[in-house]
Amino acid sequence: MFRAMLEKPKTEAYPYKPIQLTERFRGKLDIDPAKCTGCQVCALVCPAGVITLIDMGTRKVGDRELPVKRPLFDLSSCIFCGECVDNCAFNALEMTKQFELATPNKEDLMMRKAVVK
Amino acid sequence: MSETLLARITTFAAESNTKAVPLRKGETLVEVDQANIKIFISHLLNDLALRHLATITGLDLGQNLGITYHFIQGQETIHVRTSVPKTNPAALSIVDLIPGAILYEMEIHDMFGVTFTGNPWINRKLLLPDDWPADLPPPLLKTSKPAEIRKRLGLETAQK
Amino acid sequence: MNAEQNKPTRREETAGLIEYSTENLVPFGPIHPALKEPEYFKLILEGERIVEVIPRIGYVHRGLEKAAEMRPWVQNMYMFERTCGICSFVHSLCYGQAVEGLTMFQVPRRAKYIRLIIAELERIHSHLLWVGLMGHWAGFETLFMWVWSDREIVLDLVEAISGNRVHKSMNAFCGVRRDMPEGMEDRIIERMKHMTDRAHYYRQIIDTEETMLARTENVGNKVDQETAQKLCAVGPMARYVGLRHDVRLTDPYAAYDEVPFDIVTRNEGDVRALLRLRLDEIVVSANMISYAVEHLPEGPIRVKIPPVIPAGEHSSHCEAPRGEIFYYVRSGGGRIPERVKSRQPTLANIPIALELLKGQTLADVPVVLTAIDPCFGCMDRMSFLDTDTNRQWTWSGEQLRLYGIKHYFPERFKK
Repeated sequence: MFRAMLEKPKTEAYPYKPIQLTERFRGKLDIDPAKCTGCQVCALVCPAGVITLIDMGTRKVGDRELPVKRPLFDLSSCIFCGECVDNCAFNALEMTKQFELATPNKEDLMMRKAVVK
Repeated sequence: MSETLLARITTFAAESNTKAVPLRKGETLVEVDQANIKIFISHLLNDLALRHLATITGLDLGQNLGITYHFIQGQETIHVRTSVPKTNPAALSIVDLIPGAILYEMEIHDMFGVTFTGNPWINRKLLLPDDWPADLPPPLLKTSKPAEIRKRLGLETAQK
Repeated sequence: MNAEQNKPTRREETAGLIEYSTENLVPFGPIHPALKEPEYFKLILEGERIVEVIPRIGYVHRGLEKAAEMRPWVQNMYMFERTCGICSFVHSLCYGQAVEGLTMFQVPRRAKYIRLIIAELERIHSHLLWVGLMGHWAGFETLFMWVWSDREIVLDLVEAISGNRVHKSMNAFCGVRRDMPEGMEDRIIERMKHMTDRAHYYRQIIDTEETMLARTENVGNKVDQETAQKLCAVGPMARYVGLRHDVRLTDPYAAYDEVPFDIVTRNEGDVRALLRLRLDEIVVSANMISYAVEHLPEGPIRVKIPPVIPAGEHSSHCEAPRGEIFYYVRSGGGRIPERVKSRQPTLANIPIALELLKGQTLADVPVVLTAIDPCFGCMDRMSFLDTDTNRQWTWSGEQLRLYGIKHYFPERFKK
């Protein structure tokens, strides 16, 4: 009991000091638009309905016009499970260490990196 | 599935007009009609010493409502299913055999509308709110839609 | 108004459950003018002693079983993981096992070991949380704080393995999603040694500390094994009267058939027995984790299965920290289930909780109700009816907790 008086307090000093996170910590999602090919697998596996696919025009393949889609992320619904990251065959998605995501403005949580021209 | 337990259930089933179907991996499904359900369950408890009732599940089988009692002993599970017609969902309660079943039956009463005669608390709601409209069908039926339930209870969602 | 006419009368005893009726003008309804929400438990008292408890649950009912019928199989795994924050992994494990039973695929051995490790870490976390809560409700705040700081050991390990402290998202059908990180084995073994020491220390505290003894010794109606069995008690509520009911022993799943462990039972039948039981289980779990980590087999961690599950029905049960979880799954052969039934252990333990409360005093209510380790957002509100004075009143959980502390340790409230 007296030993406890000599130990320093166990309370984390967050937010005055940064908090220690582990390497596998799953924070906010991030996409590398250069790697995304619009294969739609992330939208199919997401359990929370975060990903909508937006038409970005068409591209010519041979003599056919194929539609080009890119994902739009509504991260306010994200449950941070990482299914999209695991299933992306092109490693375009990753989970960052950012977790301070509270915002009064919902638009802040829309990730449009892949859909802006 | 141990041979003796399955054999004993099959023998008893044959005597009392029930059907025992082995499912996979240590599970058996027995279909019993309402008239014999209490005899069958007391046989399971007393003669076969199957004491643990895991839960009672309600099921929407189209025309009927299925009530499945899940008994587990060691590595064997026996699902005892009885069914009641949707037009007259009245079943017999097993609370006098297993007092712990009282809340499971109340849950099926709230979610599927089955009345269990002999359950002393059957007139109380367990899960549904007090102001559940009397003409709104029970929620877990296949025909009940969540959007309609939300509208009737006055809980419209704001977005999406 | 004649007081005799207003006194509640006793109705017939049915199946051991006595019912009181109030055939008078005072409405014993759940809505109190001062309240914003109805109560969870209605306690009928004779003076100080409890005679009957009427439960009302479902205030955080989210309709998960209905929602499961509208979502693909894999999405349901994440949804059922969020049934509970404390036992989230074992919910997704039980659902996963029920669905895997319908397929022809086997779970790889390494995945079974990892599932065991995470499940036991979760058990330690849950039991520590509960011991802290018992300290809180009994008025022993220091125990609460210390135990919860030890809980951080487990949460840090879980975060290092899975990336999240609470919703681990580790389970997948026929496997786990992430492997053990490099160098985790030594760290886990060292932390589990530390955890065992702490559990022994807390065990000593509850056996000698005056506050805990006063609040937990001989508290709770004693039930015998027959009653506990008939009331369908599961988990620690069955084991503390001596029944050897542990799904890990009787129907081993994951790697429980390969990792040796002892089942913990007690037979004193009071709340203190539950404290000792859960602390002993922490030591058992720490040993299991160390063993599993040392004997972790090599191999794949996952087998990918198609999104269409064959038709049939299957059930699975697991030992959650609070008791037996049971999942029943019925497939019509499609991409979404036809019926999923999930029965949490707290629902199975409510009848025995009602039995434990009979004859206890009002001051013991928070301790006894927490003793079953309930998982609903319980004890927000309770209402009481005293049949001697016919007084009805409502208290919040905090008011009830303070009443209990004042009753046992009045010297703390002297001005």
